[in-house]
Amino acid sequence: MQEIHAGGKPLKKAYVAIFLWFTGRAIQAAAKVDKEVKKEFDTLPDEFTFALGSLPNGPWMVVGKEKGKVKYFGGNLKCRPIHLRLVIKNIEAAFLILSFQESTALATTRNRLMTDGEVPYALSVIRILDIVEVYLLPKLIASLAVKRYPSWWPFGHKLAGRIGVYTRTLLGI
Amino acid sequence: MILPDYYEFCCRVQIVAGHDALEKIPALLAEMGAKKPLIVTDKGVAAAGLVDIVVNALKEGVTIGGIADNVPPDSDLKVVNQLAGLYRDNACDAIIAVGGGSVMDTAKGVNIVVSENATDLMAFSGAGALNRRLKPLVAIPTTAGTGSEVTLVAVIKDHEKHQKMLFTSYFLLPNVSILDSRMTMTMPPFITAMTGMDALSHAVEGYYCLQKNPLSDAHSLAAVNMIHQYLSMVTKNPADKEGRLAMAVGACLAGISFSNSMVGIVHNLGHATGAVCGVPHGICMAVLLPYGLEYNMHKRRDIIAELLLPMAGEDVYLKTPRAERADKVVSLIRQMNQDLNVITGGRHARYFSEVKDRDGKQMVPRDVLPEIAKAALFDGATIYNPEDSDYEDNLLVLEAAWEGKPLDRSKIKKG
Ligand SMILES: [Fe+2]
Repeated sequence: MQEIHAGGKPLKKAYVAIFLWFTGRAIQAAAKVDKEVKKEFDTLPDEFTFALGSLPNGPWMVVGKEKGKVKYFGGNLKCRPIHLRLVIKNIEAAFLILSFQESTALATTRNRLMTDGEVPYALSVIRILDIVEVYLLPKLIASLAVKRYPSWWPFGHKLAGRIGVYTRTLLGI
Repeated sequence: MILPDYYEFCCRVQIVAGHDALEKIPALLAEMGAKKPLIVTDKGVAAAGLVDIVVNALKEGVTIGGIADNVPPDSDLKVVNQLAGLYRDNACDAIIAVGGGSVMDTAKGVNIVVSENATDLMAFSGAGALNRRLKPLVAIPTTAGTGSEVTLVAVIKDHEKHQKMLFTSYFLLPNVSILDSRMTMTMPPFITAMTGMDALSHAVEGYYCLQKNPLSDAHSLAAVNMIHQYLSMVTKNPADKEGRLAMAVGACLAGISFSNSMVGIVHNLGHATGAVCGVPHGICMAVLLPYGLEYNMHKRRDIIAELLLPMAGEDVYLKTPRAERADKVVSLIRQMNQDLNVITGGRHARYFSEVKDRDGKQMVPRDVLPEIAKAALFDGATIYNPEDSDYEDNLLVLEAAWEGKPLDRSKIKKG
Protein backbone atom coordinates (compact mmCIF):
# COMPACT_ATOMS: atom_id res chain seq x y z
CA MET A 1 0.00 0.00 0.00
CA GLN A 2 1.21 3.50 -0.82
CA GLU A 3 2.46 5.46 2.17
CA ILE A 4 0.10 8.27 3.01
CA HIS A 5 2.64 10.55 4.66
CA ALA A 6 6.21 10.36 5.83
CA GLY A 7 6.61 9.21 9.39
CA GLY A 8 3.39 7.18 9.32
CA LYS A 9 5.13 3.85 9.29
CA PRO A 10 7.36 4.17 12.39
CA LEU A 11 4.38 5.44 14.35
CA LYS A 12 2.23 2.54 13.23
CA LYS A 13 5.01 0.12 14.02
CA ALA A 14 5.36 1.59 17.50
CA TYR A 15 1.62 1.29 18.06
CA VAL A 16 1.63 -2.34 16.93
CA ALA A 17 4.62 -3.12 19.16
CA ILE A 18 3.00 -1.60 22.24
CA PHE A 19 -0.30 -3.28 21.47
CA LEU A 20 1.34 -6.69 21.12
CA TRP A 21 3.33 -6.22 24.34
CA PHE A 22 0.18 -5.29 26.22
CA THR A 23 -1.95 -8.06 24.69
CA GLY A 24 0.72 -10.66 25.36
CA ARG A 25 0.68 -9.80 29.06
CA ALA A 26 -3.11 -9.64 29.02
CA ILE A 27 -3.37 -13.18 27.61
CA GLN A 28 -1.13 -14.42 30.40
CA ALA A 29 -3.38 -12.62 32.88
CA ALA A 30 -6.65 -13.81 31.32
CA ALA A 31 -5.50 -17.43 31.48
CA LYS A 32 -5.55 -17.04 35.27
CA VAL A 33 -8.70 -14.94 35.56
CA ASP A 34 -11.10 -16.29 32.94
CA LYS A 35 -12.43 -19.85 32.94
CA GLU A 36 -13.06 -19.97 29.18
CA VAL A 37 -9.54 -18.84 28.33
CA LYS A 38 -8.14 -21.38 30.74
CA LYS A 39 -10.31 -24.12 29.23
CA GLU A 40 -9.19 -23.19 25.73
CA PHE A 41 -5.51 -23.36 26.72
CA ASP A 42 -6.18 -26.73 28.36
CA THR A 43 -7.21 -28.16 24.96
CA LEU A 44 -3.82 -27.16 23.53
CA PRO A 45 -0.78 -29.43 23.92
CA ASP A 46 1.86 -28.87 26.63
CA GLU A 47 4.51 -26.38 25.60
CA PHE A 48 2.21 -25.13 22.81
CA THR A 49 3.47 -21.75 21.64
CA PHE A 50 2.03 -19.27 19.18
CA ALA A 51 3.12 -15.98 17.71
CA LEU A 52 1.15 -13.05 16.37
CA GLY A 53 2.86 -10.36 14.38
CA SER A 54 3.52 -8.57 11.16
CA LEU A 55 5.58 -9.22 8.05
CA PRO A 56 8.23 -8.49 6.90
CA ASN A 57 10.15 -8.02 10.17
CA GLY A 58 7.81 -7.77 13.13
CA PRO A 59 6.99 -6.75 15.71
CA TRP A 60 5.90 -10.09 17.16
CA MET A 61 4.27 -11.39 20.30
CA VAL A 62 5.08 -14.89 21.52
CA VAL A 63 2.75 -16.61 23.99
CA GLY A 64 2.81 -20.21 25.08
CA LYS A 65 2.45 -22.83 27.76
CA GLU A 66 5.35 -23.68 30.02
CA LYS A 67 4.93 -26.39 32.64
CA GLY A 68 1.16 -25.95 32.49
CA LYS A 69 1.31 -22.17 32.91
CA VAL A 70 0.50 -19.65 30.20
CA LYS A 71 3.28 -17.13 29.68
CA TYR A 72 4.10 -14.15 27.52
CA PHE A 73 7.61 -14.70 26.14
CA GLY A 74 8.25 -11.30 24.62
CA GLY A 75 8.79 -10.48 20.96
CA ASN A 76 11.61 -12.79 19.89
CA LEU A 77 10.48 -15.51 17.45
CA LYS A 78 13.60 -17.55 18.20
CA CYS A 79 13.03 -17.76 21.96
CA ARG A 80 11.39 -21.20 21.67
CA PRO A 81 9.80 -23.56 19.11
CA ILE A 82 6.62 -22.01 17.68
CA HIS A 83 3.71 -24.24 16.65
CA LEU A 84 1.44 -21.65 15.14
CA ARG A 85 1.99 -18.25 13.61
CA LEU A 86 -0.76 -15.73 12.94
CA VAL A 87 0.84 -13.58 10.29
CA ILE A 88 -0.35 -10.16 9.22
CA LYS A 89 0.62 -9.22 5.67
CA ASN A 90 2.32 -5.91 6.47
CA ILE A 91 2.52 -3.22 9.09
CA GLU A 92 -0.31 -1.22 7.50
CA ALA A 93 -2.66 -4.18 7.78
CA ALA A 94 -1.42 -4.89 11.30
CA PHE A 95 -2.28 -1.34 12.30
CA LEU A 96 -5.73 -1.69 10.74
CA ILE A 97 -6.47 -4.94 12.56
CA LEU A 98 -4.88 -4.07 15.89
CA SER A 99 -6.53 -0.67 16.05
CA PHE A 100 -9.86 -2.50 15.54
CA GLN A 101 -10.74 -0.93 12.23
CA GLU A 102 -11.08 -4.44 10.85
CA SER A 103 -12.17 -7.63 12.62
CA THR A 104 -9.94 -10.70 12.58
CA ALA A 105 -12.59 -12.53 10.54
CA LEU A 106 -12.73 -9.86 7.86
CA ALA A 107 -8.96 -9.57 7.81
CA THR A 108 -8.81 -13.31 7.08
CA THR A 109 -11.28 -13.05 4.22
CA ARG A 110 -9.25 -10.18 2.76
CA ASN A 111 -6.04 -12.22 2.90
CA ARG A 112 -4.44 -9.78 5.35
CA LEU A 113 -4.25 -12.26 8.21
CA MET A 114 -2.87 -15.69 7.45
CA THR A 115 -2.30 -18.71 9.62
CA ASP A 116 0.82 -20.78 9.42
CA GLY A 117 0.14 -23.98 11.32
CA GLU A 118 -2.77 -26.28 12.05
CA VAL A 119 -6.26 -24.83 11.67
CA PRO A 120 -7.72 -26.24 14.93
CA TYR A 121 -4.94 -24.50 16.90
CA ALA A 122 -5.59 -21.26 15.04
CA LEU A 123 -9.28 -21.42 15.93
CA SER A 124 -8.45 -21.87 19.62
CA VAL A 125 -6.07 -18.93 19.57
CA ILE A 126 -8.62 -16.69 17.82
CA ARG A 127 -11.21 -17.55 20.49
CA ILE A 128 -8.68 -16.64 23.20
CA LEU A 129 -7.81 -13.34 21.51
CA ASP A 130 -11.51 -12.50 21.18
CA ILE A 131 -12.17 -12.97 24.90
CA VAL A 132 -9.09 -10.98 25.87
CA GLU A 133 -10.18 -8.12 23.63
CA VAL A 134 -13.59 -8.09 25.26
CA TYR A 135 -11.88 -7.60 28.64
CA LEU A 136 -9.43 -4.98 27.45
CA LEU A 137 -11.68 -2.80 25.33
CA PRO A 138 -14.85 -0.82 25.87
CA LYS A 139 -17.90 -2.44 24.27
CA LEU A 140 -18.09 0.02 21.40
CA ILE A 141 -14.59 -0.81 20.22
CA ALA A 142 -14.61 -4.51 21.08
CA SER A 143 -17.75 -4.95 18.98
CA LEU A 144 -15.70 -3.95 15.97
CA ALA A 145 -12.89 -6.32 16.80
CA VAL A 146 -14.86 -9.52 17.37
CA LYS A 147 -17.53 -11.15 15.25
CA ARG A 148 -20.08 -11.15 18.06
CA TYR A 149 -19.83 -9.16 21.27
CA PRO A 150 -20.87 -11.36 24.24
CA SER A 151 -23.57 -9.00 25.52
CA TRP A 152 -25.15 -11.98 27.32
CA TRP A 153 -22.26 -12.18 29.81
CA PRO A 154 -23.48 -11.06 33.27
CA PHE A 155 -22.27 -7.57 34.14
CA GLY A 156 -20.49 -8.75 37.28
CA HIS A 157 -18.56 -11.40 35.37
CA LYS A 158 -17.35 -8.88 32.82
CA LEU A 159 -16.38 -6.34 35.46
CA ALA A 160 -14.53 -8.80 37.68
CA GLY A 161 -12.73 -10.21 34.65
CA ARG A 162 -11.79 -6.78 33.42
CA ILE A 163 -10.38 -5.70 36.78
CA GLY A 164 -8.49 -8.98 37.13
CA VAL A 165 -7.01 -8.85 33.63
CA TYR A 166 -6.03 -5.19 33.85
CA THR A 167 -4.42 -5.46 37.28
CA ARG A 168 -2.43 -8.52 36.34
CA THR A 169 -1.45 -7.09 32.95
CA LEU A 170 -0.17 -3.86 34.44
CA LEU A 171 1.68 -5.68 37.20
CA GLY A 172 2.86 -8.36 34.82
CA ILE A 173 1.68 -11.27 36.95
CA MET B 1 -24.42 -6.83 -3.30
CA ILE B 2 -21.36 -6.36 -1.11
CA LEU B 3 -18.26 -4.73 -2.56
CA PRO B 4 -15.30 -5.77 -0.39
CA ASP B 5 -12.37 -3.39 -0.53
CA TYR B 6 -10.05 -6.29 -1.28
CA TYR B 7 -10.62 -9.79 -2.59
CA GLU B 8 -9.09 -12.46 -4.78
CA PHE B 9 -10.85 -14.62 -7.33
CA CYS B 10 -9.33 -17.29 -9.50
CA CYS B 11 -10.70 -19.96 -11.77
CA ARG B 12 -8.37 -20.84 -14.57
CA VAL B 13 -9.88 -24.19 -15.48
CA GLN B 14 -10.93 -24.74 -19.07
CA ILE B 15 -14.43 -26.16 -19.00
CA VAL B 16 -15.88 -28.24 -21.82
CA ALA B 17 -19.55 -29.12 -21.38
CA GLY B 18 -21.91 -31.08 -23.59
CA HIS B 19 -23.51 -34.40 -24.38
CA ASP B 20 -20.38 -35.44 -26.30
CA ALA B 21 -17.75 -33.37 -24.52
CA LEU B 22 -15.53 -36.40 -23.87
CA GLU B 23 -14.73 -36.69 -27.56
CA LYS B 24 -12.84 -33.42 -27.30
CA ILE B 25 -10.22 -34.87 -24.92
CA PRO B 26 -7.69 -36.07 -27.55
CA ALA B 27 -7.50 -32.58 -29.05
CA LEU B 28 -7.22 -31.04 -25.59
CA LEU B 29 -4.41 -33.40 -24.62
CA ALA B 30 -2.60 -32.63 -27.87
CA GLU B 31 -2.83 -28.90 -27.10
CA MET B 32 -1.08 -29.59 -23.81
CA GLY B 33 1.55 -31.71 -25.54
CA ALA B 34 0.39 -34.96 -23.94
CA LYS B 35 -0.50 -38.25 -25.58
CA LYS B 36 -0.21 -40.94 -22.94
CA PRO B 37 -2.57 -40.32 -20.02
CA LEU B 38 -3.00 -42.42 -16.88
CA ILE B 39 -6.68 -42.90 -16.07
CA VAL B 40 -7.44 -42.71 -12.35
CA THR B 41 -10.84 -43.93 -11.17
CA ASP B 42 -12.59 -46.21 -8.69
CA LYS B 43 -14.28 -49.61 -8.88
CA GLY B 44 -17.81 -48.22 -8.75
CA VAL B 45 -17.23 -45.86 -11.64
CA ALA B 46 -15.59 -48.61 -13.68
CA ALA B 47 -18.39 -51.07 -12.93
CA ALA B 48 -20.97 -48.53 -14.09
CA GLY B 49 -19.28 -48.64 -17.50
CA LEU B 50 -18.20 -45.00 -17.36
CA VAL B 51 -14.50 -45.72 -17.92
CA ASP B 52 -15.41 -47.63 -21.09
CA ILE B 53 -17.21 -44.55 -22.40
CA VAL B 54 -14.14 -42.43 -21.67
CA VAL B 55 -11.77 -44.97 -23.27
CA ASN B 56 -13.97 -45.08 -26.35
CA ALA B 57 -13.83 -41.32 -26.66
CA LEU B 58 -10.02 -41.40 -26.51
CA LYS B 59 -9.46 -43.62 -29.55
CA GLU B 60 -8.03 -40.96 -31.84
CA GLY B 61 -4.33 -40.28 -31.33
CA VAL B 62 -4.12 -41.21 -27.67
CA THR B 63 -2.34 -44.16 -26.07
CA ILE B 64 -3.75 -45.01 -22.69
CA GLY B 65 -0.84 -45.37 -20.30
CA GLY B 66 -2.84 -47.33 -17.77
CA ILE B 67 -6.16 -47.56 -16.00
CA ALA B 68 -6.06 -47.57 -12.20
CA ASP B 69 -9.44 -48.28 -10.66
CA ASN B 70 -8.33 -48.92 -7.09
CA VAL B 71 -9.00 -45.51 -5.54
CA PRO B 72 -10.73 -46.13 -2.17
CA PRO B 73 -13.75 -44.05 -1.06
CA ASP B 74 -11.37 -42.18 1.24
CA SER B 75 -8.21 -40.92 -0.50
CA ASP B 76 -5.16 -42.84 0.74
CA LEU B 77 -1.45 -42.01 0.69
CA LYS B 78 -0.39 -45.57 -0.14
CA VAL B 79 -2.63 -45.61 -3.21
CA VAL B 80 -1.27 -42.22 -4.28
CA ASN B 81 2.29 -43.52 -4.15
CA GLN B 82 1.38 -46.74 -5.91
CA LEU B 83 -0.35 -44.85 -8.76
CA ALA B 84 2.61 -42.50 -9.06
CA GLY B 85 4.78 -45.60 -9.58
CA LEU B 86 2.41 -46.81 -12.28
CA TYR B 87 2.57 -43.39 -13.97
CA ARG B 88 6.37 -43.49 -14.05
CA ASP B 89 6.70 -47.16 -15.07
CA ASN B 90 4.41 -46.61 -18.04
CA ALA B 91 5.98 -43.27 -18.99
CA CYS B 92 2.68 -41.42 -18.84
CA ASP B 93 2.53 -37.70 -19.52
CA ALA B 94 -0.91 -36.65 -18.22
CA ILE B 95 -3.63 -37.73 -15.76
CA ILE B 96 -7.32 -38.19 -16.45
CA ALA B 97 -9.41 -38.42 -13.28
CA VAL B 98 -12.84 -40.02 -13.66
CA GLY B 99 -14.92 -39.99 -10.49
CA GLY B 100 -16.03 -38.08 -7.41
CA GLY B 101 -14.17 -36.21 -4.68
CA SER B 102 -11.81 -39.00 -3.59
CA VAL B 103 -10.70 -39.76 -7.16
CA MET B 104 -10.03 -36.06 -7.81
CA ASP B 105 -8.04 -35.75 -4.56
CA THR B 106 -6.04 -38.87 -5.38
CA ALA B 107 -5.29 -37.67 -8.92
CA LYS B 108 -4.11 -34.32 -7.55
CA GLY B 109 -1.89 -36.15 -5.05
CA VAL B 110 -0.42 -38.36 -7.77
CA ASN B 111 0.21 -35.25 -9.83
CA ILE B 112 2.24 -33.65 -7.04
CA VAL B 113 4.35 -36.79 -6.61
CA VAL B 114 5.10 -37.26 -10.32
CA SER B 115 5.59 -33.58 -11.13
CA GLU B 116 7.78 -32.71 -8.16
CA ASN B 117 9.52 -36.10 -8.09
CA ALA B 118 8.53 -36.23 -4.47
CA THR B 119 9.22 -39.14 -2.19
CA ASP B 120 7.43 -37.53 0.72
CA LEU B 121 4.11 -35.94 -0.14
CA MET B 122 3.96 -34.34 3.31
CA ALA B 123 6.68 -31.89 2.27
CA PHE B 124 4.19 -30.28 -0.10
CA SER B 125 1.23 -29.99 2.27
CA GLY B 126 -0.29 -26.73 3.44
CA ALA B 127 -0.70 -23.59 1.40
CA GLY B 128 1.92 -22.23 -0.96
CA ALA B 129 4.28 -25.22 -0.95
CA LEU B 130 3.82 -25.76 -4.69
CA ASN B 131 5.28 -23.14 -6.94
CA ARG B 132 5.26 -24.42 -10.46
CA ARG B 133 3.04 -26.06 -13.03
CA LEU B 134 2.24 -29.73 -12.59
CA LYS B 135 1.53 -32.35 -15.31
CA PRO B 136 -1.66 -31.87 -17.34
CA LEU B 137 -4.73 -32.98 -15.37
CA VAL B 138 -8.11 -33.60 -16.95
CA ALA B 139 -11.01 -33.90 -14.49
CA ILE B 140 -14.18 -35.77 -15.40
CA PRO B 141 -16.67 -35.61 -12.52
CA THR B 142 -19.16 -38.48 -12.25
CA THR B 143 -21.34 -36.80 -9.63
CA ALA B 144 -22.88 -33.36 -9.82
CA GLY B 145 -21.97 -32.09 -6.38
CA THR B 146 -18.49 -31.69 -4.93
CA GLY B 147 -17.23 -29.17 -7.47
CA SER B 148 -13.74 -30.58 -6.98
CA GLU B 149 -13.20 -30.41 -10.74
CA VAL B 150 -12.69 -26.66 -10.23
CA THR B 151 -11.21 -26.45 -6.72
CA LEU B 152 -7.62 -25.91 -5.70
CA VAL B 153 -7.73 -28.24 -2.72
CA ALA B 154 -6.75 -31.85 -2.22
CA VAL B 155 -7.09 -33.92 0.94
CA ILE B 156 -4.98 -37.06 1.22
CA LYS B 157 -5.21 -39.32 4.23
CA ASP B 158 -2.30 -41.20 5.67
CA HIS B 159 -4.20 -44.09 7.24
CA GLU B 160 -1.05 -45.55 8.81
CA LYS B 161 -0.13 -42.40 10.69
CA HIS B 162 -3.77 -41.33 11.15
CA GLN B 163 -2.99 -38.03 9.50
CA LYS B 164 -4.92 -35.89 7.09
CA MET B 165 -2.86 -33.83 4.70
CA LEU B 166 -4.39 -30.75 3.16
CA PHE B 167 -2.95 -29.22 0.01
CA THR B 168 -4.03 -25.88 -1.39
CA SER B 169 -2.50 -24.31 -4.47
CA TYR B 170 -3.66 -22.82 -7.73
CA PHE B 171 -1.38 -25.39 -9.36
CA LEU B 172 -3.77 -28.10 -8.17
CA LEU B 173 -6.57 -26.76 -10.34
CA PRO B 174 -7.20 -29.20 -13.19
CA ASN B 175 -6.21 -27.85 -16.60
CA VAL B 176 -9.46 -29.04 -18.11
CA SER B 177 -12.79 -30.21 -16.69
CA ILE B 178 -15.15 -32.20 -18.86
CA LEU B 179 -18.84 -32.02 -18.01
CA ASP B 180 -20.52 -34.72 -20.06
CA SER B 181 -24.11 -35.76 -19.41
CA ARG B 182 -23.24 -39.44 -19.94
CA MET B 183 -21.03 -39.42 -16.84
CA THR B 184 -23.85 -38.77 -14.37
CA MET B 185 -26.66 -40.56 -16.19
CA THR B 186 -26.35 -43.81 -14.21
CA MET B 187 -26.19 -42.16 -10.79
CA PRO B 188 -29.00 -43.62 -8.62
CA PRO B 189 -31.73 -41.15 -7.50
CA PHE B 190 -30.63 -41.22 -3.86
CA ILE B 191 -27.04 -40.22 -4.76
CA THR B 192 -28.26 -37.68 -7.32
CA ALA B 193 -30.36 -36.04 -4.61
CA MET B 194 -27.70 -35.75 -1.93
CA THR B 195 -24.84 -34.72 -4.22
CA GLY B 196 -27.15 -32.12 -5.76
CA MET B 197 -27.92 -30.72 -2.32
CA ASP B 198 -24.17 -30.53 -1.66
CA ALA B 199 -23.86 -28.40 -4.80
CA LEU B 200 -26.75 -26.20 -3.65
CA SER B 201 -25.07 -25.76 -0.27
CA HIS B 202 -21.90 -24.55 -2.05
CA ALA B 203 -23.88 -22.02 -4.07
CA VAL B 204 -25.85 -20.76 -1.06
CA GLU B 205 -23.04 -20.73 1.50
CA GLY B 206 -20.76 -19.11 -1.06
CA TYR B 207 -23.39 -16.39 -1.36
CA TYR B 208 -23.79 -15.51 2.32
CA CYS B 209 -20.34 -16.17 3.75
CA LEU B 210 -17.81 -13.51 4.67
CA GLN B 211 -15.49 -13.89 1.70
CA LYS B 212 -18.24 -13.35 -0.88
CA ASN B 213 -17.49 -10.93 -3.68
CA PRO B 214 -19.20 -9.85 -6.90
CA LEU B 215 -17.43 -12.51 -8.96
CA SER B 216 -18.30 -15.42 -6.68
CA ASP B 217 -21.83 -13.97 -6.36
CA ALA B 218 -22.43 -14.23 -10.10
CA HIS B 219 -21.50 -17.90 -10.04
CA SER B 220 -23.67 -18.60 -6.98
CA LEU B 221 -26.76 -16.98 -8.47
CA ALA B 222 -26.44 -18.92 -11.72
CA ALA B 223 -25.84 -22.15 -9.79
CA VAL B 224 -28.84 -21.68 -7.49
CA ASN B 225 -31.02 -21.10 -10.52
CA MET B 226 -29.96 -24.28 -12.33
CA ILE B 227 -29.91 -26.56 -9.31
CA HIS B 228 -33.31 -25.49 -8.02
CA GLN B 229 -34.81 -25.91 -11.45
CA TYR B 230 -33.31 -29.30 -12.30
CA LEU B 231 -32.46 -31.31 -9.18
CA SER B 232 -35.88 -32.78 -8.45
CA MET B 233 -36.44 -33.32 -12.16
CA VAL B 234 -33.35 -35.47 -12.72
CA THR B 235 -33.83 -37.31 -9.46
CA LYS B 236 -37.26 -38.32 -10.71
CA ASN B 237 -36.12 -38.98 -14.25
CA PRO B 238 -32.49 -40.17 -14.25
CA ALA B 239 -32.29 -40.45 -18.06
CA ASP B 240 -33.06 -36.75 -18.57
CA LYS B 241 -30.01 -35.73 -20.62
CA GLU B 242 -30.69 -32.00 -20.48
CA GLY B 243 -31.26 -32.12 -16.76
CA ARG B 244 -28.08 -34.14 -16.16
CA LEU B 245 -25.98 -31.63 -18.08
CA ALA B 246 -27.68 -28.73 -16.30
CA MET B 247 -26.89 -30.27 -12.91
CA ALA B 248 -23.26 -30.88 -13.92
CA VAL B 249 -22.95 -27.23 -14.93
CA GLY B 250 -24.80 -26.05 -11.80
CA ALA B 251 -22.46 -28.01 -9.53
CA CYS B 252 -19.46 -26.65 -11.42
CA LEU B 253 -20.70 -23.06 -11.06
CA ALA B 254 -21.28 -23.65 -7.35
CA GLY B 255 -17.76 -25.10 -7.04
CA ILE B 256 -16.24 -22.01 -8.64
CA SER B 257 -18.18 -19.81 -6.24
CA PHE B 258 -17.35 -21.53 -2.98
CA SER B 259 -13.72 -22.22 -3.74
CA ASN B 260 -13.31 -18.44 -3.89
CA SER B 261 -15.77 -17.32 -1.23
CA MET B 262 -15.52 -20.31 1.13
CA VAL B 263 -18.28 -21.96 3.16
CA GLY B 264 -19.70 -21.54 6.68
CA ILE B 265 -21.70 -23.21 9.42
CA VAL B 266 -23.45 -25.75 7.17
CA HIS B 267 -20.11 -27.23 6.14
CA ASN B 268 -18.67 -26.60 9.59
CA LEU B 269 -21.30 -28.77 11.30
CA GLY B 270 -21.46 -31.10 8.30
CA HIS B 271 -17.74 -31.90 8.42
CA ALA B 272 -18.05 -32.61 12.15
CA THR B 273 -21.10 -34.86 11.67
CA GLY B 274 -19.27 -36.72 8.92
CA ALA B 275 -16.21 -37.19 11.12
CA VAL B 276 -18.11 -38.33 14.22
CA CYS B 277 -20.87 -40.46 12.65
CA GLY B 278 -19.68 -41.26 9.12
CA VAL B 279 -22.74 -39.70 7.49
CA PRO B 280 -22.11 -38.98 3.77
CA HIS B 281 -21.29 -35.32 3.13
CA GLY B 282 -24.25 -34.70 0.81
CA ILE B 283 -26.78 -35.89 3.39
CA CYS B 284 -25.29 -33.59 6.02
CA MET B 285 -25.57 -30.70 3.58
CA ALA B 286 -29.19 -31.45 2.70
CA VAL B 287 -30.19 -31.62 6.36
CA LEU B 288 -28.21 -28.60 7.56
CA LEU B 289 -28.68 -26.09 4.73
CA PRO B 290 -32.03 -24.62 5.90
CA TYR B 291 -30.60 -24.29 9.42
CA GLY B 292 -27.47 -22.49 8.25
CA LEU B 293 -29.69 -19.90 6.59
CA GLU B 294 -31.84 -19.54 9.70
CA TYR B 295 -28.81 -19.22 11.94
CA ASN B 296 -27.34 -16.38 9.90
CA MET B 297 -30.66 -14.71 9.11
CA HIS B 298 -30.27 -11.73 11.45
CA LYS B 299 -26.97 -10.83 9.80
CA ARG B 300 -27.73 -11.75 6.22
CA ARG B 301 -31.48 -11.29 5.64
CA ASP B 302 -31.17 -9.00 2.61
CA ILE B 303 -28.48 -11.12 1.02
CA ILE B 304 -30.42 -14.36 1.49
CA ALA B 305 -33.52 -12.64 0.05
CA GLU B 306 -31.61 -12.02 -3.18
CA LEU B 307 -31.54 -15.78 -3.77
CA LEU B 308 -35.31 -15.89 -4.22
CA LEU B 309 -35.28 -14.44 -7.73
CA PRO B 310 -32.94 -17.04 -9.28
CA MET B 311 -34.67 -19.80 -7.33
CA ALA B 312 -38.32 -19.11 -7.82
CA GLY B 313 -38.49 -16.72 -10.76
CA GLU B 314 -39.97 -13.28 -11.26
CA ASP B 315 -43.59 -14.06 -10.41
CA VAL B 316 -42.94 -15.53 -7.00
CA TYR B 317 -40.28 -12.94 -6.25
CA LEU B 318 -42.57 -10.01 -6.96
CA LYS B 319 -45.53 -11.55 -5.18
CA THR B 320 -43.53 -12.18 -2.01
CA PRO B 321 -43.37 -9.12 0.26
CA ARG B 322 -39.82 -7.84 0.63
CA ALA B 323 -39.63 -8.73 4.34
CA GLU B 324 -40.61 -12.35 3.67
CA ARG B 325 -38.29 -13.14 0.76
CA ALA B 326 -35.46 -14.57 2.84
CA ASP B 327 -37.84 -16.84 4.77
CA LYS B 328 -39.31 -17.95 1.47
CA VAL B 329 -35.84 -19.07 0.34
CA VAL B 330 -35.55 -21.23 3.46
CA SER B 331 -38.97 -22.76 2.93
CA LEU B 332 -38.21 -23.50 -0.74
CA ILE B 333 -35.07 -25.38 0.28
CA ARG B 334 -37.04 -27.34 2.88
CA GLN B 335 -39.55 -28.11 0.14
CA MET B 336 -36.74 -29.45 -2.08
CA ASN B 337 -35.70 -31.86 0.68
CA GLN B 338 -39.33 -32.88 1.10
CA ASP B 339 -39.75 -33.52 -2.65
CA LEU B 340 -36.49 -35.47 -2.85
CA ASN B 341 -37.57 -37.53 0.15
CA VAL B 342 -40.77 -38.51 -1.65
CA ILE B 343 -39.08 -39.16 -5.01
CA THR B 344 -36.45 -41.43 -3.45
CA GLY B 345 -39.04 -43.38 -1.49
CA GLY B 346 -37.82 -41.98 1.82
CA ARG B 347 -34.11 -42.56 1.31
CA HIS B 348 -33.24 -38.87 1.07
CA ALA B 349 -33.07 -37.74 4.70
CA ARG B 350 -34.67 -34.46 5.79
CA TYR B 351 -33.35 -34.48 9.34
CA PHE B 352 -30.60 -36.24 11.24
CA SER B 353 -32.93 -38.56 13.16
CA GLU B 354 -33.95 -39.99 9.76
CA VAL B 355 -30.46 -40.88 8.56
CA LYS B 356 -30.05 -44.66 8.48
CA ASP B 357 -27.20 -46.88 7.36
CA ARG B 358 -27.55 -49.93 5.11
CA ASP B 359 -28.83 -52.10 7.92
CA GLY B 360 -31.45 -49.55 8.87
CA LYS B 361 -29.57 -48.47 11.98
CA GLN B 362 -29.78 -44.83 13.01
CA MET B 363 -26.48 -43.15 12.08
CA VAL B 364 -26.79 -40.05 14.27
CA PRO B 365 -28.04 -41.08 17.72
CA ARG B 366 -29.25 -38.06 19.65
CA ASP B 367 -26.67 -38.50 22.40
CA VAL B 368 -23.72 -37.88 20.04
CA LEU B 369 -24.87 -34.34 19.21
CA PRO B 370 -22.71 -32.81 22.00
CA GLU B 371 -19.67 -34.58 20.57
CA ILE B 372 -20.42 -33.19 17.10
CA ALA B 373 -20.97 -29.69 18.52
CA LYS B 374 -17.55 -29.87 20.14
CA ALA B 375 -15.74 -31.24 17.09
CA ALA B 376 -17.16 -28.41 14.98
CA LEU B 377 -15.26 -25.85 17.06
CA PHE B 378 -12.07 -27.05 15.42
CA ASP B 379 -13.17 -26.93 11.78
CA GLY B 380 -11.89 -24.06 9.67
CA ALA B 381 -15.22 -23.28 7.96
CA THR B 382 -16.33 -21.49 11.13
CA ILE B 383 -14.05 -18.57 10.25
CA TYR B 384 -16.05 -17.62 7.17
CA ASN B 385 -19.52 -17.86 8.70
CA PRO B 386 -21.16 -14.44 9.16
CA GLU B 387 -22.23 -15.11 12.78
CA ASP B 388 -19.94 -16.53 15.42
CA SER B 389 -20.81 -19.98 16.75
CA ASP B 390 -19.75 -21.52 20.04
CA TYR B 391 -20.50 -24.93 21.52
CA GLU B 392 -24.01 -23.97 22.67
CA ASP B 393 -24.89 -22.46 19.29
CA ASN B 394 -23.70 -25.59 17.50
CA LEU B 395 -25.78 -27.77 19.79
CA LEU B 396 -28.86 -25.57 19.29
CA VAL B 397 -28.61 -25.97 15.51
CA LEU B 398 -27.83 -29.69 15.66
CA GLU B 399 -30.77 -30.43 17.94
CA ALA B 400 -33.19 -28.62 15.66
CA ALA B 401 -31.71 -30.38 12.63
CA TRP B 402 -32.04 -33.71 14.41
CA GLU B 403 -35.70 -33.20 15.24
CA GLY B 404 -36.55 -31.52 11.94
CA LYS B 405 -38.05 -28.46 13.61
CA PRO B 406 -37.31 -24.96 12.29
CA LEU B 407 -34.62 -23.22 14.31
CA ASP B 408 -35.97 -21.19 17.22
CA ARG B 409 -34.24 -17.98 16.23
CA SER B 410 -35.09 -16.24 19.48
CA LYS B 411 -32.55 -18.55 21.15
CA ILE B 412 -29.62 -17.44 18.98
CA LYS B 413 -27.16 -15.27 20.88
CA LYS B 414 -27.01 -12.15 18.77
CA GLY B 415 -24.42 -10.06 20.59
FE1 LIG C 1 -19.72 -29.57 0.24
